[in-house]
Amino acid sequence: MNDTRILLAHGNGGRLMRELVTDVFARHLGNALLDTDADAVTLPSFDGEPMVTTDGFTVQPLEFPGGDLGSLAVHGVVNDLAVAGADPRYFTLSALIEEGLELAVLDRLIGSFAAAARENGVAVVAGDTKVVRRGEGGGLYLMVAGIGVKRARTKLAIESIAPGDAVLVSGPVGDHGIAVMLAREQFGLSGELRSDSASVLPLARAVRDLPGLKFMRDPTRGGLATVCHEISRACGHTVTLEQDRVPLRPEVVSVCEMLGYDPYFLACEGRIVAVVEAAAADAVLACWRALPQGAAACRIGRVESGEPRVILETPLGGRRVLDELEDDPLPRIC
Amino acid sequence: MTDTSHAWLDRIHAFDFDRTVKIMNVCGGHERSITHSGLRGALPEWLELIPGPGCPVCVCPEEDIYQAIQLALQDRVILVAYGDMLRVPVNVPKGTVRTLAEAQAAGADVRPIASPTEARLIAQANPGRQVVFFAAGFETTTAPVAALLAEGIPDNLFILLSGRLTWPAVAMLLDSGSPGFDALVAPGHVSTVMGPEEWSFVVETHNIPAAVAGFGTESLLAAFYSVLRQLKSGERFLDNCYLEVAHPGGNPTALRMMAATLDVVDANWRGIGTIARSGYALKPAFAQHDARLRFADHSAPERRRAGQMPPGCDCANVVLGKIYPNQCRIYGRACTPRHPIGPCMVSDEGACRIWWAGGVRVAADA
Repeated sequence: MNDTRILLAHGNGGRLMRELVTDVFARHLGNALLDTDADAVTLPSFDGEPMVTTDGFTVQPLEFPGGDLGSLAVHGVVNDLAVAGADPRYFTLSALIEEGLELAVLDRLIGSFAAAARENGVAVVAGDTKVVRRGEGGGLYLMVAGIGVKRARTKLAIESIAPGDAVLVSGPVGDHGIAVMLAREQFGLSGELRSDSASVLPLARAVRDLPGLKFMRDPTRGGLATVCHEISRACGHTVTLEQDRVPLRPEVVSVCEMLGYDPYFLACEGRIVAVVEAAAADAVLACWRALPQGAAACRIGRVESGEPRVILETPLGGRRVLDELEDDPLPRIC
Repeated sequence: MTDTSHAWLDRIHAFDFDRTVKIMNVCGGHERSITHSGLRGALPEWLELIPGPGCPVCVCPEEDIYQAIQLALQDRVILVAYGDMLRVPVNVPKGTVRTLAEAQAAGADVRPIASPTEARLIAQANPGRQVVFFAAGFETTTAPVAALLAEGIPDNLFILLSGRLTWPAVAMLLDSGSPGFDALVAPGHVSTVMGPEEWSFVVETHNIPAAVAGFGTESLLAAFYSVLRQLKSGERFLDNCYLEVAHPGGNPTALRMMAATLDVVDANWRGIGTIARSGYALKPAFAQHDARLRFADHSAPERRRAGQMPPGCDCANVVLGKIYPNQCRIYGRACTPRHPIGPCMVSDEGACRIWWAGGVRVAADA
């Protein structure tokens, strides 16, 4: 292909589109099951209970310190399967491309998608591309459906959570939210903080068969606090977090202090929040800490009987309600 | 929480006051720190911490916000403002645009920023557009506006200035004869710009203990201890518990730039009324960048009357420290962060929002 940018003609079903599919998508994603000429594909039978999930991805900028839209999309879907106790197997990929996107950028993003998929043992088995007019898309949107095979021997169920259970997190929270904000040079800020965008599959595999594990979720939009709200709503009890135990990087703390943001609501893309029976907490933490990605894992709170809400316990003994996120966070005056 | 904080707490608990002692703060940052760290629960029962006029969003006159909304909607300017101004509602009939955020949703070009530098960058990046910077804030945020003017402002950038001085509101409370507090914790960042001595009138004229504090619990506790010790011993002085940042004389560069570009004028505080020499306005030399002169005045005269708070809203009394947020008649009932009625429930600097976020769900009698 000689063009340097995506044209509307790349979406017209003709030669340009065929070249785009062959030279970019199939070149990176090719595998034994992917047939770009077929309308549908037959999958081999599964060696376990299949699980399915789907998600759409958009991020600005498309490439940021610690990741890009391509790897982010793979991690997002892998992580949803992983925390449900599954190993990811097959993805479909639908790409909405904005007219004018540089082909070199698209090539890098799809290359990154392919690399992340390989790392996680995933084959892309079906795909689609569409081109939207300039101004109607954010460069590139990726829609991914993922099929995995359930591997966890125990049943992970949010309803089984009970007062006394411990709440754990696999690493520092809020990195992705702040890294992307810094990469946008929004609010006059800049910095080198990297997104935590990563597959949590190794973390999930390490603990999914441990006795006492009740629930795992990967906090994304809405951050740690939003996952805690989901837990609290589903089990009908209070989730209490201990402020000085929640791992936060100094960069995240200082940006939050400057803008008046709460780090507990900032996006993560490579962490797991787990709820375990209190007696099992140390075993889960030990497994996590043995992995590089889980080095900073810790116990950050507990489930208590009480009305369903999320409480942050301050070092002085204050108890602050962490409400559900209302508005988009906006920087304050000061 | 450091060992030092615990040490300050122990020293404060060692005082034996047989009456309620009220300490007022006049900084949203202080109130956030106090509430979010749970300081009230850790302090003795005889000690009350009162949030005073410390929220620039809360006191920004309704007509200024209305003006900003209309500039964005009707004059099609790029309207830049600090993020928490975007959600403050004005009193207009249902179905009309009530906030800058709603104006944005209706197609106006409204952009939240965190510093005046961004206003400059946005103006430079859009040379063909008129950019209006709606600059509400206290001395801390007005100083960078002065720098923007002093250092050369882009031709297409106009300022809708709604800057306020903090101390005149405290002076007004003290002059009223019923200030409602026994001691003052003075704002750290304002003192960094203006110099701590700006607050000496509290001690010298009114014989009320005062201490400048930073935003950490340690600095706040040190300031509480200082004013309590002054109350006990009878001696009075303006203490500085934010020594590392708030230096005598303030920030000379900032003060010079403010003096060169801004006049101090009488100004309206939302719900409170006009306070003499409590606001900033652009000097006539910068008239070509003054949005108030440059654009049509959209604010009808009837919007200008003092005391304009939505019906039932006690924000003005909350701002003045006359009542606690949960003593407002609509706190947590009609007025929540989801459906804010008064500005105090909007901004992260507003006492009502801070208390709600801090978990205060129980209404109290006024």
